Amino acid sequence: MDAYDEGSSARAARPDTPSSAAAQPAPAEAEPPPLPFQAEPPFQAQPPPPQALPARRAGIAALSFRYQIVAALALGTVALAACAHLAMVFLHVAPSNTVTKQHGQAIDDWIYPEFEQNWKLFAPNPLQQNISVQARAEVRTADGAVRRTGWYDLSAQDGAAIDGNLLPSHTQQNELRRAWDFYVSSHDAENRPAGLRGDLSERYIRRIVLLRLDRENAGGRGAVIERVQVRSRTANVAPPEWSDEKIDTRPVFRELPWWPVTPDDVPLARDVKAEVDAR
Amino acid sequence: MNRLDRPVALLSRGIARVTATALGPYQTAVIRIGFSATWLLFLLRELPNRHELYGPDGPWDWDMAQQLIAGNHAFTALMWSDSRLWFETVYALAMLSSVLLMLGWRTRTMSVLFMVGVLSLQNRSIFMGDGGDNVIHLMSVYLVLTRCGQVWSLDARRLRRAQAARAREEAHASEEARARGELSGVGERGPLRGEGRDRIGPVLWWVLGLALSVVTFMGELRWGWLLIFWGLWAVQGLWWAVGRRAPGGEPRLLLDIVANLVHNAALFVIMAEACLIYATAGWYKIQGSRWQDGTAVYYPLQLDSFSPWPALSDALAAHGILVMLMTYGTVAIQVAFPFTLFNRRLKNVLLAAMICEHAVIAVVLGLPFFSLAMITADAVFLPTSFLRRVGRWAARARGGLFSLGRGPRGERRMPGQRRGEEPDPEGAEHARVGFTT
Repeated sequence: MDAYDEGSSARAARPDTPSSAAAQPAPAEAEPPPLPFQAEPPFQAQPPPPQALPARRAGIAALSFRYQIVAALALGTVALAACAHLAMVFLHVAPSNTVTKQHGQAIDDWIYPEFEQNWKLFAPNPLQQNISVQARAEVRTADGAVRRTGWYDLSAQDGAAIDGNLLPSHTQQNELRRAWDFYVSSHDAENRPAGLRGDLSERYIRRIVLLRLDRENAGGRGAVIERVQVRSRTANVAPPEWSDEKIDTRPVFRELPWWPVTPDDVPLARDVKAEVDAR
Repeated sequence: MNRLDRPVALLSRGIARVTATALGPYQTAVIRIGFSATWLLFLLRELPNRHELYGPDGPWDWDMAQQLIAGNHAFTALMWSDSRLWFETVYALAMLSSVLLMLGWRTRTMSVLFMVGVLSLQNRSIFMGDGGDNVIHLMSVYLVLTRCGQVWSLDARRLRRAQAARAREEAHASEEARARGELSGVGERGPLRGEGRDRIGPVLWWVLGLALSVVTFMGELRWGWLLIFWGLWAVQGLWWAVGRRAPGGEPRLLLDIVANLVHNAALFVIMAEACLIYATAGWYKIQGSRWQDGTAVYYPLQLDSFSPWPALSDALAAHGILVMLMTYGTVAIQVAFPFTLFNRRLKNVLLAAMICEHAVIAVVLGLPFFSLAMITADAVFLPTSFLRRVGRWAARARGGLFSLGRGPRGERRMPGQRRGEEPDPEGAEHARVGFTT
């Protein structure tokens, strides 16, 4: 491996020689202002080289005994901290096991909130259902009549916004999808909230829905939304053509109760919304 | 006894290395540039949506965030005030610190501000993020501990210029001395002139100290974060003071060694974190029936949120064998990657494969920022020789651009001078950094 390494760095050095010396007629001009590579080699960033250091010794060996002790302590502490942190992160991402069952609290205390992570990307199985969140509203129109709108498929709108989009926004890709996950994970099958998170997720969904319906001018101009209802439509992805699996792709609906709302519940101040909607 | 000599020698050589040098200067520089650029591009992309994502009256409004954060104690400056002005300020500062970190201007300070920006926005609305945000979140914390501005940074350029200026001064002084027939006094040197002249650094330090005092008296920060921020601030001050008083003295050398140790440990953690990402993603996939029967890749392409190109998805869905090869290939690469670090050649092949895969994911699944973050994380394993070559290309392209635009720059280097700098030992020294750190 060592031989290989030398080979690679030797190769790396070669292409530069002709170009900087011979190939360019006016090297000084083409020479880039000092950026990257000829930046001080890392050694120079180290102990300021020309100063009165003991010759040819660097790192811990250049220190006197007293300072060496401090450096050794630092070495031990840093090494220990790095290993401990990695062990904690490993246990955090590993499946539930003997250690995490006994010391789960200590691991959580270390990891949360800033080192939380989840790398089960499309694992163990990718999601095989299209879940769309849909909403409708009961509005009071300008002439005082109460009217019920049809269902708006908000997820389908997001999907359409992503189509052909090289730079999808988090508002299209994550907002509603993750809000719905949050709602489902903090409610039971009867839509009863579990604690604070349940309440928050309900309010969150309601505000997202209101923002979207408001943008759609649900119920027509001048109509005031008085109640909203949300439902999810879950349909299995049809198996690929070459597969002989039989999967029921008929959608399943989960309908939430009607929620009363007031205009104050609509997110984003008027001027912001005007700016956002104008784009 | 002889049998013990070798490990002991290896150990002492290893300790000498991790104390004397901050390893992987190019690798840390490339991830610094990569993560700050990814975050900057993301913030620019979401500029029109910033209020909806993180603003005080977005769907996830300030009160709701307050309630959730009261429970998990995540750090976010956006909770210090619910005013719109404060939100705009934080968003602007997050962009500014990304630019400056990318350029490597006052790198250490900017890495802290970059972390503050990332955590503030992400923790404000945790339900807006995805895996890409998660990677940037972790790396922004780790980057604070690295000396990631050693190369490819304005800091490095400033240091180089200061050294060149000092060398000129010395040459001048010694010539004069020789002319006067004095030989003594040549070896005595004052403090680094370049550092002595630096006004911006101390000003920045005082301003941030003042800001931190205000935050402290507002009582918004918990003691853990107070300790971290004040600690970082104090270390910066100490570093400056020691370097000014005795640039070659032992205290300065000790600080340098500690900085190297912390850097090397952080680099190790970053690499291990990247390995954990792949290992987790791979090993959990092995357990999934769809990854076993070779159809897994088909499914994300059928999901509305991850299929920007329906025609492409359908075309792929028609080729069962291709889908199976991609499915098995993905799992194999992810599971194998951490182990290939012990073989340089194999590691590089897999690295290229993974970078390509992420580039494909960026377009096909519509996850550009996630992919960019992952590619950056991969880049920490790139070989030094390759990174230096890329650096040369970039510099040449930039040089070409400048000479096209406005003629030769004031500062010039003679070709001979530059060549003399080239064969510095770092190429050989750091070539193996990909897996030895």
